[in-house]
Amino acid sequence: MTVLAAVAVVALSSCKKDKKETAPAAAEVTTSGILADLAVNVNAATYVKLASTSAELYTQTVALSSTPSAFNLQMCQQLWRSARESWEQSEGFLYGPVATDLIDPRIDTWPVDFNALEGELASTNEFTQTYLNGLDDALKGFHPIEYLLFGQNGNKTFDQFTAREKEYLVALAFNLRTLTADLAEEWNISNSTSFMASFRAPGTSNPYYETKRAVYEEIVNAMAGICDEVANGKIGEPFLANDATLEESPYSSNSMTDFTNNMKSVQNVYKGKFTADGTGIEDLVKKHNLSLHNTITAKITAAISSLNNITDPFGTAITSQPVQVTAAMAAINDLRTTLEDELLPFVQQYVVD
Amino acid sequence: MYTLKYYICFALTLSLIGCKKPGKLEEMQEKDWYAGGTQTVFSSGSGAFGAAFNGLSGTEMFVHGVGDLAFESTFVSAPAPKNSGLGPIFNSVSCVSCHIGDGRGKAPEPGEPMISLLFRLSVPGQDAHGGPLDVPGYGGQLQQRAVFGSQAEGNVNISYAYATYTFPDGTTYQMRTPSYTLTNLYAALPGGVMISPRVAPPVFGLGLLEAIPDANILAREDVNDANGDGISGKANWVWNVLAHQKTLGKFGWKAGNPTVMQQTASAYLQDMGITTFLFPKESSYDQPQYDNLLDDVELSDSLLYAVSFYMKTLAVPARRNVQNADVQKGKQLFESAKCSACHTPGQRTGVNVAFKQVSNQLIFPYTDLLLHDMGPELSDNRPDFAADGAEWRTPPLWGIGLTEIVNGHSNFLHDGRARTLTEAIMWHGGEGTVSREAFRNMSAADRAALLKFLKSL
Repeated sequence: MTVLAAVAVVALSSCKKDKKETAPAAAEVTTSGILADLAVNVNAATYVKLASTSAELYTQTVALSSTPSAFNLQMCQQLWRSARESWEQSEGFLYGPVATDLIDPRIDTWPVDFNALEGELASTNEFTQTYLNGLDDALKGFHPIEYLLFGQNGNKTFDQFTAREKEYLVALAFNLRTLTADLAEEWNISNSTSFMASFRAPGTSNPYYETKRAVYEEIVNAMAGICDEVANGKIGEPFLANDATLEESPYSSNSMTDFTNNMKSVQNVYKGKFTADGTGIEDLVKKHNLSLHNTITAKITAAISSLNNITDPFGTAITSQPVQVTAAMAAINDLRTTLEDELLPFVQQYVVD
Repeated sequence: MYTLKYYICFALTLSLIGCKKPGKLEEMQEKDWYAGGTQTVFSSGSGAFGAAFNGLSGTEMFVHGVGDLAFESTFVSAPAPKNSGLGPIFNSVSCVSCHIGDGRGKAPEPGEPMISLLFRLSVPGQDAHGGPLDVPGYGGQLQQRAVFGSQAEGNVNISYAYATYTFPDGTTYQMRTPSYTLTNLYAALPGGVMISPRVAPPVFGLGLLEAIPDANILAREDVNDANGDGISGKANWVWNVLAHQKTLGKFGWKAGNPTVMQQTASAYLQDMGITTFLFPKESSYDQPQYDNLLDDVELSDSLLYAVSFYMKTLAVPARRNVQNADVQKGKQLFESAKCSACHTPGQRTGVNVAFKQVSNQLIFPYTDLLLHDMGPELSDNRPDFAADGAEWRTPPLWGIGLTEIVNGHSNFLHDGRARTLTEAIMWHGGEGTVSREAFRNMSAADRAALLKFLKSL
């Protein structure tokens, strides 16, 4: 019955909507303008930042390798966190080349395969990029780098690095730099054959998206998708199993920051803003349904502050702060429900071509 | 990961129809949208193959979610606190690394790493159950990777021979024929080894396919082509480990597995080296790579069940552009070219009170789930139970038009040789020859309409 009622309401309003559209638009908010802005200001900008911080991380690992020092290690750790911030802020749009070119699994697989990692370190295999490309995903990307930089218990010191660890670290950082640069290139606006070009110009001959509505659905589904993953995967799995070994970024104790950046990713997509600000989905929502806009904004804020309420490191918080963890899962799932059940139908109603 | 509930999305499509009063013909066309019956999801984005069924209970949704996470879990070498037991020899580290986005794998270009294509092996003869006979020292599949300190069985080099052809109307198209060379083999291969390349197929809608009654599938069987239409669908009868007898094969490129769960357990074992209660013996057993660890079974029964349930409860994406004139014309051409003789559009699932979401549904998978001779060019010359070297199971076509957005490519067929739908059609031989020739002789506009129809699936 509820579904039928929803159908009826949407049906009525969609029949009326045609009239509305013939009236002159008050604001300069257009569905194609939002797409164009979003692709540049959020997707591309986030990936550019990810690529540039990854490149800096590589440079710094070279410095750490040649001149081990507390400062150089700290710089590497800080840059790892910065690159990680951009990556987590990109997880609200995990569609396109990041998925189809298998970049996500190659840079963000966990858990780390310790046996294999220790084996590689104990071997004499040369860590060329060809060799690295042939390694399993669990031996590449952010988390093996994290393990090498922070150590099993997060207390690694610069004088503990073996020669093999330094070689492996530098090679891993180089690999991360290459893959994130490839990703940024796929969202380069001046590259006419990039995924970006298809994303911004849906049409019948577009291999990916026939309509703007399909792109909007993609965007909203990805926003809801990361909420699902954070609430029910990244937080829910270790919490429900009461098992800290399921934590994603344990060595750096960066998990809470990761989760918060995932929520900021949703916020960035909604606002259409990473650093530069243009039009965003929020402008379309504000134009047609201010109440929905207020709901979404409030729920994003609630999700972020619910994560801030977890004050212990995540691996500890799953046992020490169950109330706060449960509340965070609930707040993020609540946001997800709004995105799925209200924002998705909204874009389907207002993005008509 | 997209475990979303999409039923609200129905609203949009219905709203378009809602403005008009549907006549009888339109009502029939309306059914066409619902490729998966009530388990249809109105999604055409990169998550289109990953949506959960409608109407799952809280418990069912939880199990689906557990299966979803397990599908994405990366296995690591033993011993490890989590996801232990990879290998010692394997092809991949997780389900999702081949079935990206719950979708279709891709054959590598020459020099690219082998990610979602694997090679089955056997020697002439049959095993105790009538299935393919393992290669001594290699088993039934070439594991191209190994955990640290262990040796992979070997590698495969792929090369392609390209040839250009011309349609009668002057349009040209290119085809590529793959050839494979086994390299870096860890032990000598006995003579007469048969090799079958297999690309990872999409994994949505499997619960609905499993729910098609055997009788409905067998009713279309026509082994000796008694009706003289040139099409001789044949059932594969394969070993069912749990039933301990042969039952109808439904899954895999040659219908070599009877159930979603057995297909899943077999992939865990052969592709990842993960043992389950269905297959408790390591793929490397009796080989020097065997780890001698007493850690089997490595995947709990409940997780195997959850992963199978996850795939069984992945909804089918709705068709797009059903009312487009070209698409409708293409659909007629699909019928008149007899494509639908094997790619049977509609199927009716059986009544199942224990699994109501798949019960009594009219679905449009575009397959008869039977084996057909596809001619010598596509033949792998490797029998698999009742399937001979030239026979392949009709693959479902539902969702085929979304391959590009979900997987970023449009490569098809068991070995991924076809790079477009046109090439895939032009590779059809054997029982598919008549349809291929019909397509070849169509006008460019008709061919385009047929392709547009396929892309609407």
